[in-house]
Amino acid sequence: MRKIRKEKKSCSGCRLLRVLCKLFAFLAAVYGILFTVFFFDLDGKLLFYVVEPFLVKHYDKMERRNPLDMPYDIKK
Amino acid sequence: MKDLKHLIFFENLLQEANNDLVKKAQGEGKKALGYTCYFMPEVLLDLPGCFSVRLRAPRSGSPDMATYYMSNRTCHYGRALFERALEGGFNFLDAQLATETCTVTCRFQEHLGRMDVIKNPDFFVEFTDVPFKKNENSMVHFRKQLQVHVLDVLHDKLGIDVSDEALCKAIEEHNEICRLITEIGAYRKLDNPPITGYEFQVIQLVTLTCPKYLILPYLRETAEELKTREPEPKFPYRCRVVLAGAENDDPDFTKLIESCGALVVADRHCYGSLPGREAIVVEPGQAPLDAIARHYLNTSYCPRFMPQGEMRGRKKYLADIVKEYKADGLIVASNKFCEYWSYERTMDALILPRDYDIPTCSIEKEYVNASTGQLRTRFQAFVESVEIKKLQEAK
Amino acid sequence: MKMPEIKLPKPSAITAKLKEAAKLFPDPRDVKLPKNGEELKKAAHDFWYGKPHEERRLGDLYVDKTGLYKHREWRGVKDTFYYFHMIWLYNYANMVADIMKFGGLGIFAKGLWRYRWMGQTYLPVLHWFDRGLEGMRGEALRASAWHYRAMVCVSINQFMNMFKADAKLHNGAHNEAWKHSMAHKETVWGGVFYPWSDQYTNIPMEMIPYFVTCHVNNHTVLNYIDAVQSLGLPGDPCPMCQAEAGLFVLDDMPDYAPFVVTTNEACDGSVASTAIQDWFLNIPLFALPQPMQFDDPLVQEHCANEIRELWKFIEEQTGAPFNWEQLKKKLEAQNELQRFEWEKWDVAAKTSSYPINGVAQALYRIYQTQYGDHYIWHDTDRRVKKILYKCVEKKIDTFPKTRHRVIAWSCAPLYYSHWCTWAYNCWGLNTIINMDSLMFDMEVRTDTLDNCVMDMARYHEWAPMRRMAVGGLHHIFELWDYMERFNCDMVMMYDQLQCKGMQGVVGLFEDEFRKRNIHAIWMPHALPDKRTVSRSEIRRIINDYMSTVMKEEPLDPTLLEFDDDMSW
Repeated sequence: MRKIRKEKKSCSGCRLLRVLCKLFAFLAAVYGILFTVFFFDLDGKLLFYVVEPFLVKHYDKMERRNPLDMPYDIKK
Repeated sequence: MKDLKHLIFFENLLQEANNDLVKKAQGEGKKALGYTCYFMPEVLLDLPGCFSVRLRAPRSGSPDMATYYMSNRTCHYGRALFERALEGGFNFLDAQLATETCTVTCRFQEHLGRMDVIKNPDFFVEFTDVPFKKNENSMVHFRKQLQVHVLDVLHDKLGIDVSDEALCKAIEEHNEICRLITEIGAYRKLDNPPITGYEFQVIQLVTLTCPKYLILPYLRETAEELKTREPEPKFPYRCRVVLAGAENDDPDFTKLIESCGALVVADRHCYGSLPGREAIVVEPGQAPLDAIARHYLNTSYCPRFMPQGEMRGRKKYLADIVKEYKADGLIVASNKFCEYWSYERTMDALILPRDYDIPTCSIEKEYVNASTGQLRTRFQAFVESVEIKKLQEAK
Repeated sequence: MKMPEIKLPKPSAITAKLKEAAKLFPDPRDVKLPKNGEELKKAAHDFWYGKPHEERRLGDLYVDKTGLYKHREWRGVKDTFYYFHMIWLYNYANMVADIMKFGGLGIFAKGLWRYRWMGQTYLPVLHWFDRGLEGMRGEALRASAWHYRAMVCVSINQFMNMFKADAKLHNGAHNEAWKHSMAHKETVWGGVFYPWSDQYTNIPMEMIPYFVTCHVNNHTVLNYIDAVQSLGLPGDPCPMCQAEAGLFVLDDMPDYAPFVVTTNEACDGSVASTAIQDWFLNIPLFALPQPMQFDDPLVQEHCANEIRELWKFIEEQTGAPFNWEQLKKKLEAQNELQRFEWEKWDVAAKTSSYPINGVAQALYRIYQTQYGDHYIWHDTDRRVKKILYKCVEKKIDTFPKTRHRVIAWSCAPLYYSHWCTWAYNCWGLNTIINMDSLMFDMEVRTDTLDNCVMDMARYHEWAPMRRMAVGGLHHIFELWDYMERFNCDMVMMYDQLQCKGMQGVVGLFEDEFRKRNIHAIWMPHALPDKRTVSRSEIRRIINDYMSTVMKEEPLDPTLLEFDDDMSW
């Protein structure tokens, strides 16, 4: 029984360690990715080449009220 | 039409700021006080012992020296005045009663104060703060400013009598000028007026640039003459227009418009008579200075006024003038680099045709109009469009 | 059955695209491996501490025309990771947090989709940091970055307040937020609204849609300038006022408040363009005038009375009474900010340990004073104070490559406010102080309401682009006193080509510069409009002066000429 318990104990420790390792690896990967994005200005490139042109097209196409339809109330 | 008796005399007076009447008044020991803006009440500068000269720079060429000081990106009017000052054309001035009412004329007047431009050792520049509203707070403020920066200064530095009696006398003389100009201007409401826009502008300008007491006899005579002046048998113009806009002291500009077939029947611009030639009313018990301060704020329709009712009311005022003077259209002209009138002109050109059905021609011009060919084309096209509109309406 | 035809790009086209894409990144062939121990040691040193100023070659980092970086600058381990953690990550995270705090992602997304100035501008905000902080190291990097962070926070606060109240984003409904908002021109000092600040939010109309956008992404504003000119407005009035009016022409101003307060600050153009804004706003308007001849003791009462009139107007519009205690509280908080600003000026004037670069100093100061009190200014000042004290105590030379101490005078090019970062990196021109920072140079008394209003009048009269520009030429010539006070040996003379007030005085400045034998570089620009004078044209003018008149060599020659015409 003791042996089994020991095994179990070491097993849960290992599992925890494994989870921590995975978590660490995941965080390290995220950190690495973020640093890569930062260092190579990938955020800037995405915004400049993809997001801004897309939004500009959208704003250019937007329907806007004709400013000259706006009344000019003299009695204000 | 038969020529006006004094027209050539008046035209000659406009050839120089230091004209014959100015010289005569100074010869009589009176002090010459320069100013540029309606907000400096000319009536205060016409107190006994002094006289007002609204500054112009007639026959200006290229303002090279002024452009060095003020760059070529400022209003040509301000630069032309400064150039004239640098040339010595304003050396006759005893003082400049200044206002910071538009940027470039302000800068011009500051240069007069800072640099030794006016060759008169006693010359000085005094600024008055002009409010942006017509509320009671502004009236009180303006009155205080006029007291301290005009009357007190004139009294202390030039020994001018600034008593209420003197003010009342100046108001009386001023009101006679206003009455005569209004009487002469009213002929323009007739279907076939016995006076052209050019002639009227010349007359109006001499009242701004000459000592009042010396120009009055000529003005009275001209008013009498107009009572019997026969217009052309048939209205010789193709349409009638109101000329509105910024600073405009150039009768040749009006002449140009009229040569394109549009009679200028009303003048709502900085050197014009609408507004500007309304009589000052002193109520019983009211101090004359109070009446003057209120008059100049209340009568002005300058785009400098900021309250909502004022901004919007200006459009109505212009439309009313068009109606009163039976004009077929409106020409709004602003000087290049004039911030106030750039916007005002843009809005006039959009709102008056739309809301008041008034054909409007929007023009950006220089103080000295070299490009008359382009302007002529614009005016001719405008006159044609007005004619077409009239024809369509007749159908 | 006929199969649909799938058009595959030609291999040559793919190769071309890849080649284009490769230009966005560093070329591995440019990497030089150390050949000997000496070089290895130097490489390790550069890796750890960053390269010496003269060897940085910052210009090589740019992707041609775009201002993007092939890679962001390696500033040494400590500063690179500071930048990564405390500037890049921290600010991205805080931008999201601020959006959540001030209204939530939903309304943010709606606003982004609706308003060009929002979507086109505020996403690339981290690039705004990059441009302003290029080449910065150590305490200068840290203190300057905190200023940027504060401005981002206040900007988010403002646009989220606009969006929460905006009837255009709520199907035309006027919600509680709309009823509790007060709109005003950006040139109306936010302090006049303090008495209602516990219940109502004052939001400047153009500060976010116009002013801040010019700094962050200068493409946006061009739409608004063109829009107002499409109505027939000539191109020569002040482009700032044009852009402010253009927002309304393009219907890009949120409908977020039941009334508006306008002013004549800073110039004729502000008064004139208000007429267009009023047309399209079409709501009750109060005009708050500021006297021009502000040295005249007679004008103070008039100005104070106008502030009182404004308060009456607000009471009428909101139904909420004037709250003196709230006004006092906010003014005292603002006075605290002013006192720290004076400490900063003292350090800037008397030492070489001032840790804030020219652009951060200028933008933070003008933003803080014009907008008014906000908690983030206090947070930032606390952080910056620590850095400032540390620099002074340890006598840290924060800008060690300073060759000239520069004072920047007149109004700056908004599309190139970070020119001073470039000028330091390229030529060692360290911008110590600028005209707009020196504007609201006073505390407001809070002992009695009368004293308070009189001081508020004065404060208002000393607003940016006004304190030195109106009320007499002697104000603008205070430059000489400030040069001496801040121990500067050079003037960067901003030449706003469409500012009539400043154009009207150029000759006298030329005369004075000659008479006083002062080195002054005239920097022409058109405030927000980069099309009149480009950034590279501005750099060329500085380069020419530095090489031909000053006969100096650049610190970083790669920064002399580069094309960033398309950059934000």
